[in-house]
Amino acid sequence: MTRRNVILRIENVSKRFESLRAVDDVSLAVPEGHIVGLIGPNGSGKSTLLNVTSGVLRADAGRIIFDGQDIVHRSADEIFQLGLARSFQDPSLFFRMTVLDNILLPIKEQDGEDPIRAPLHRTWEKQEARFATVAAGALQRLDLDTHFDSLASDLSGGQMKLLELGRSLTSAPKMLLLDEPTAGIAPNLARNIFEQIEHLRRTRGLTFLIVEHRLGLLFDFVDQVYVMHLGRLIAHGPPADIAANAKVREIYFGE
Amino acid sequence: MNIDFTATAIALTTFFGISALMALSLNLEYGVAGIPNFGQALFVSIGAYTAGWTYTRLLPLLAGQEILNPCGATLMEALQLRTAIMRQLPAVGLLNFAITLVVAALLGGIVGYLASYPALRLKREWYLALVLLVGSEIVRIIVRGYEPIICAHNGLSGIAQPFAWVSDSTQASILFAGLVLILAAAAYVYCERLVRSPYGRLLKAVRENDRMALSLGKRVPRIRAQVMFIGSAIAGVAGVLFVTNVGFASANDYVVALTLDVWVMVVLGGLGNNRGALLGALIVTILDRVTAIAAIQLDAFGANIEFNYVRFILFGVILLLMLRFRPQGLLPEPPQTTKAHEALHVGETCKLGTKSRQT
Ligand SMILES: Nc1ncnc2c1ncn2[C@@H]1O[C@H](COP(=O)(O)OP(=O)(O)OP(=O)(O)O)[C@@H](O)[C@H]1O
Ligand SMILES: [Mg+2]
Repeated sequence: MTRRNVILRIENVSKRFESLRAVDDVSLAVPEGHIVGLIGPNGSGKSTLLNVTSGVLRADAGRIIFDGQDIVHRSADEIFQLGLARSFQDPSLFFRMTVLDNILLPIKEQDGEDPIRAPLHRTWEKQEARFATVAAGALQRLDLDTHFDSLASDLSGGQMKLLELGRSLTSAPKMLLLDEPTAGIAPNLARNIFEQIEHLRRTRGLTFLIVEHRLGLLFDFVDQVYVMHLGRLIAHGPPADIAANAKVREIYFGE
Repeated sequence: MNIDFTATAIALTTFFGISALMALSLNLEYGVAGIPNFGQALFVSIGAYTAGWTYTRLLPLLAGQEILNPCGATLMEALQLRTAIMRQLPAVGLLNFAITLVVAALLGGIVGYLASYPALRLKREWYLALVLLVGSEIVRIIVRGYEPIICAHNGLSGIAQPFAWVSDSTQASILFAGLVLILAAAAYVYCERLVRSPYGRLLKAVRENDRMALSLGKRVPRIRAQVMFIGSAIAGVAGVLFVTNVGFASANDYVVALTLDVWVMVVLGGLGNNRGALLGALIVTILDRVTAIAAIQLDAFGANIEFNYVRFILFGVILLLMLRFRPQGLLPEPPQTTKAHEALHVGETCKLGTKSRQT
């Protein structure tokens, strides 16, 4: 395998909640164009690590380099603008907005998002129509095209997860942090989501860091896996090695 | 008792227009962007205080007259002077009024912008509601005790409406009602176009989930500050119209009850719907008049009813019934923001099938 550039490097990052060390001196590297898994039992600090990386929470210590820039002190909106998008563990759409509005919102540099220009519809209408066709394409790939005009709250749980994935893509990010993209989804649809992810990696060269509890499914798609336990990284390697790792089997599968 | 229907109709129209401006302002801030502004009375009062200042300082200056202290020994003289200018020099009066509107909008906007900054420190926006509610009362109490603004608790009379120079007083009030309606209509068109744009989409997203909007690259604190600027500017304009309609600036008019009236309008009409804000303003204006007239009539029959209690009970019951049976208001928020969906509706299959594949 050829060596790829590392797009995301997390170095000695820690995050405490009072006395709890939720993330404890974690370092990991994600090469560009890879799909990397992050696993660990409940409460091991996976979501906290994603929150710190995406700027939702501040790290107490450590460095995070994304695409050549130190982002550890950047705010969530700046990190997103640099091309690092994320999804949340709990279904998090803008529920009282239409599916189409949900997917149009993250698009960067919209002329009509400026409060001075916004009332002058002619200054952004053409751009908006163009974005709408792009969004329609995204919705079609996710099999949501017939729902574009419904409120996001009217979708099924699985469709919400699909829409979330689609929404993180309209901004053309370089990398996605996905927190349990298949939580609460039927097994065949879950595989479908991972196939979409694999397709995006192949066609657009996107990089993924994915937190997932369905290990069988995850291991079919990832290049590497990191394992967390009680805030610390305890193992790291190709999925086959991780599946055979005695320590991982002990804490994760209770063997 | 006789009711003068023309006068009542004009008064109702004027009051509706002023209420509509306040309701549109709060609908933008809370209905669309989710910022619970419980300091509406403060931003309206900024308009009134601005008028208090321009009518006593700027107006004589524009007319080439000496500026007299409006509060102390020269109180009567100053009052006669501004009344005379408003009656005899239409151009000066109108110019002064126009400047008042602009300054009130800017001042209101700036205070609103600054007031949104505590939201950066306060974790939950409902704390901002509390800060604004209390802040609004504090400012009012300061104004009541601080002479230079509107002569403290004495208030300031002679804040005439800009058509006071028209000799027929009915005609003058019709002209003023017309001006109020034009400003309210302009605010409605502006708010409607603002909400039905990608900016409106952004505001809704901030309302629905601010943490998520931030994670999608949106600068939430700045957006909140902008909306507070726009909303408070509109409230400031409403304040100028309110005070010139009454003709008297008094800190007692800008109590929490005014804020609550505006909240009733917006909740009743429909949060997030500009037309709902207008409808709410209309209903509250009418109810307000009807209860006032009913109280006077009943009083004439010897029933001793305090008008404010009737109002409070009525508005309270309306709020409770709405929240119980129709929380979305009489006119619910339309689901779409921009016309993007229309681009997809037109030849739905053809567009989805061909155009998107190329991208
Ligand atoms: N905002 C917070 N305040 C206090 N404690 C927190 C907070 N967020 C997470 N924690 C704690 O930090 C630890 C790690 O939580 P985290 O959500 O990162 O786990 P996780 O690995 O994502 O678990 P799961 O698989 O259940 O999603 C847990 O003990 C949790 O209770
Ligand atoms: Mg988690």
